[in-house]
Amino acid sequence: MDTLLQQVVNAISLGAIYSLFALGYSLVFSILGVLNLAHSAIFMSGAFFGVLAVNQLGTPLWLAFILAMVGAGLLSVTLEFVAFRPLRRRNAPRIAQLISSIGAAILIVNIGQLIFLQQFGRTEAYFPRELVSLDPIIIESLSIRIAPIRMIIVVVSLLLTILMQYLVGRTQIGQHMRAVAFNQQTAALLGINVSRIFVFAFFLAGVFGGAAGMFYGVVFLNVTPFIGEDVALIGLTAIVLGGMGSIQGAVLGGYLVAGLQVISVVLGGSSYRNAVVFLLLFAILLVRPQGLLGQSESTRA
Amino acid sequence: MKRSRIVLYLLIITSVALLPFVAMAQDEVATEDVQIGFWDECPAPENLPETVSIGAIFGLSGPISVYGGSQSQAVELALTEINESGYLGEGVTLVAITEDSAGDGEQAIAAMTKLVEEDQVVAVLGPTLSTEAFSADPVAQENGTSVMGVSNTAIGITDMGDYVFRDSLPESSVIPGTIAQATTILGLERVGVLYGNDDDFTLSGYDVFVQALEDNNIEIIGEETFARGDVDFNPQLTSLIAGEPDALVVSALAAEAVQIITQARALGYEGPIIGGNGLNSPAVLEQSGEASNGVIVGAAWNIANPAPLSVEFAMNFEEAYEAAPDQFAAQAYTGAWLYATAIRCADSVDRTEIRDALAAIQDFPSPLGLFSFAEDRNPIHDPVVQIAQDGKFAVLGAEE
Amino acid sequence: MDALINGLIEILKPIGITEPVFQFMLVNAILGVSIYLTLYCGLFSLANAGFMAIGAYVGVILTQSFDLPLFGALLGGMIAAGLIAIPIGIPTLRLRDIYLAIATIGFGEIVRIMILNFDDFVGSILTLVQGERVRFTLIEGARGIKGIPKLTESWHLILFLLILMFFLTRLHHSRLGRAMTAIRQDEIAAASMGINVVYVKNVVFIMSAILAGAAGVFSGHLTRIVTPQAFGFDKTVDILAFAVLGGTSTWFGPIVGGLVLTALPESLRFLKEYRGVFTGLVLLVVIVYLPGGLINTTSWSKFIRRFTNRPESPPDENSGHSTTRAN
Repeated sequence: MDTLLQQVVNAISLGAIYSLFALGYSLVFSILGVLNLAHSAIFMSGAFFGVLAVNQLGTPLWLAFILAMVGAGLLSVTLEFVAFRPLRRRNAPRIAQLISSIGAAILIVNIGQLIFLQQFGRTEAYFPRELVSLDPIIIESLSIRIAPIRMIIVVVSLLLTILMQYLVGRTQIGQHMRAVAFNQQTAALLGINVSRIFVFAFFLAGVFGGAAGMFYGVVFLNVTPFIGEDVALIGLTAIVLGGMGSIQGAVLGGYLVAGLQVISVVLGGSSYRNAVVFLLLFAILLVRPQGLLGQSESTRA
Repeated sequence: MKRSRIVLYLLIITSVALLPFVAMAQDEVATEDVQIGFWDECPAPENLPETVSIGAIFGLSGPISVYGGSQSQAVELALTEINESGYLGEGVTLVAITEDSAGDGEQAIAAMTKLVEEDQVVAVLGPTLSTEAFSADPVAQENGTSVMGVSNTAIGITDMGDYVFRDSLPESSVIPGTIAQATTILGLERVGVLYGNDDDFTLSGYDVFVQALEDNNIEIIGEETFARGDVDFNPQLTSLIAGEPDALVVSALAAEAVQIITQARALGYEGPIIGGNGLNSPAVLEQSGEASNGVIVGAAWNIANPAPLSVEFAMNFEEAYEAAPDQFAAQAYTGAWLYATAIRCADSVDRTEIRDALAAIQDFPSPLGLFSFAEDRNPIHDPVVQIAQDGKFAVLGAEE
Repeated sequence: MDALINGLIEILKPIGITEPVFQFMLVNAILGVSIYLTLYCGLFSLANAGFMAIGAYVGVILTQSFDLPLFGALLGGMIAAGLIAIPIGIPTLRLRDIYLAIATIGFGEIVRIMILNFDDFVGSILTLVQGERVRFTLIEGARGIKGIPKLTESWHLILFLLILMFFLTRLHHSRLGRAMTAIRQDEIAAASMGINVVYVKNVVFIMSAILAGAAGVFSGHLTRIVTPQAFGFDKTVDILAFAVLGGTSTWFGPIVGGLVLTALPESLRFLKEYRGVFTGLVLLVVIVYLPGGLINTTSWSKFIRRFTNRPESPPDENSGHSTTRAN
């Protein structure tokens, strides 16, 4: 049973990656009340800007991180102007905004393919292997091994959660964001510049998505235009399980999904690990559609 | 604006692609013995029109484009060489009409129909995936046009008809030899198996591995699966390694293989990792670094192959596209040369005559080695079993 | 009939539509109607790819293992998809927009994973029962069922679509059709008028599943191989795009959407690597600027007005109701 501890470590480091992805997803939902499926494309763009900075411009890692976050943030704001604002203008239902985000995701991934071809000659790129040490920290007494970068991600994702909580809960702009989330018309009457709040929320979500993509790229080295799609469904599951619009919920959901997957593997059912996750999703939706930590629809803010 | 950019892009690519060949052409005179092609066996053709078109169907968009893209580049490389060397006679140009199938069966059917019925190509290369081939190849068969898979490794591809060929060794010709050789040299008794179960390529690899392991009386102590796009294999690897296997047997594509190798090593596994065609990519060695020591791959072609034609192909490809070719590129390159040879030997653009000339090709010197088609239109050439040491592949057991 | 179809294809060939493309266009038109039915009723269900997979596998197994003709397989595939829709619909259709969407996406993924593992699963049960290792093969997991003859003909699809269109026109004047419209406009009001909302929603969901199943049977006998990879989330998004592009104010919209979006990538082959970007752009422009889809006069007139005299449209224009909505 000495692998059990190692599997716990595996679940935590996998969960950190999922929750990092789910955070940005959750932010847009809590402000807009809309699922932004283009978030996976923003995630991809972060990894892409990062790999571009490191490989083609030769920037140091910290600068690449900043470029990735700013680049993804700006792309996210562009999406707000192109894919969401025109629909909000005419009070389109939120399903229309969801569809619009799918369209935007398709377009970005296609543009991504073109740019990858132009920059790298093929639709994949690799971060240099020497960028971060992959040598594990070995704790003999417990017989576990931990990759340092994975632990950094666990810490970073927790810090980002707290930061986001603080931002939304304690700052003035956060209050404005919650006011807009509650009711746009009322917020406008209160003198809040609603458009600016939306731009800010999208920028913030883009920055988080970009950071998540960059981390993903640095850990797994391989970056393609499709890495967002690979985590999109799992990320979606994570925020639904945890509770849409709840920031702690997104993090909890990420760890929950990772935990379920690892438990399935431990029990000898690696082929069914995603089926287990989706079955739980199904069950949760039927019993408690607002998710584990989510508030019910009418009180969401 | 857009069109001008396309033109510019094409110009850059072609000029980059052509440059090395201007230089290479002179080198080739000095080393005549490494020239590819059937120069002596078939006389220079005389009855060909100015332009002969073949079709090519590769996955150029979507996740499959990593493979389809380099295949398409390899075909362009081969065509440049073929045309510059006057292989089809003076003034005859062989062109490829390349269509994207995006890894999708419906698009592959549409592309095949367009090439065979509308563009009237004399023969077709591709499609990239076996699943696409099962959809699209019957269209070529019904139209009496040869189609040659250059990366289809599934069972039963050439059973679709007498116009269906492939130059990609099926896993069943590669893996049994790999396992047998690894068993003799390493004395394997118990192994753990990790494979992708949602992908036709990795799943057929798994099927053959299991059969080969059974034949060699090797016990499988655990089987774990993953899905396409997975990046974290720690849970599965932890379970497998806990059983203390003599080797890990992995059926995966390059991107997943890199993660599997590095993560297995980070979990403290030091034994051999045995893989099939999918692990045979320059990216695997490059990206997994020291972790790749002890990785054993059986494959149709490997970049470390010291044969002159293979070395020359790898060098030319790297010069043209600034990336090392993988096995699928080598097979696409060979495929284009095989068609050129069939057209040269048939001295005709009649599809049936080209088919017959293609089927008759024996001992063709290619980067894959001396290449022949079997009776059932499957390829015959020796696979190589290699082991990674210090970031390079070396022949396992070093007997060959 | 054959001469008519061949003549039509001759006309369409210059824009890249060959017979197989034409057939896939018709299959996708059926899929468009399939998702239209649920959308029309205000149900944002994304289970269509899953039901299509069920139809395809049942249909193919019926023709391959039980030697049934295509017609029998078609019935079988439709019945199977419809039957499975009943236990799925009853609990999930209570969910509202996004939650229903996610639940049905989950359903699609579960179907795909079940197909991947079906043989192993049955095999391991048999192994337990018989006490020795049994290898069971029926649907071959990711390898797919291969070597399926191409039984679907263009006239099958045209006939099916004609019957479907007849059915749809009838539906709109039926009690059920009026109930659907009522639910779409206001669910609570519909319930208070005595419409059994739950019943109507479930019937519509089952009809939608049956159509997706039929499309699956046709598709499996066109592509000659069925693999679970073909019915993933990508396929769901494609199907949704048919309805969104064509518009869901009439049943004609999703049919046009299915036809156009299937033909477009083939017609655009000359664009080479810019093909995907162009298709994506068309889709996004329609979603954002033509909310009623291609087949909707009000949305076109708004679109034209927008680019002729650029009025400052007030944010609370009555658009939400008169132009059709995507849900």
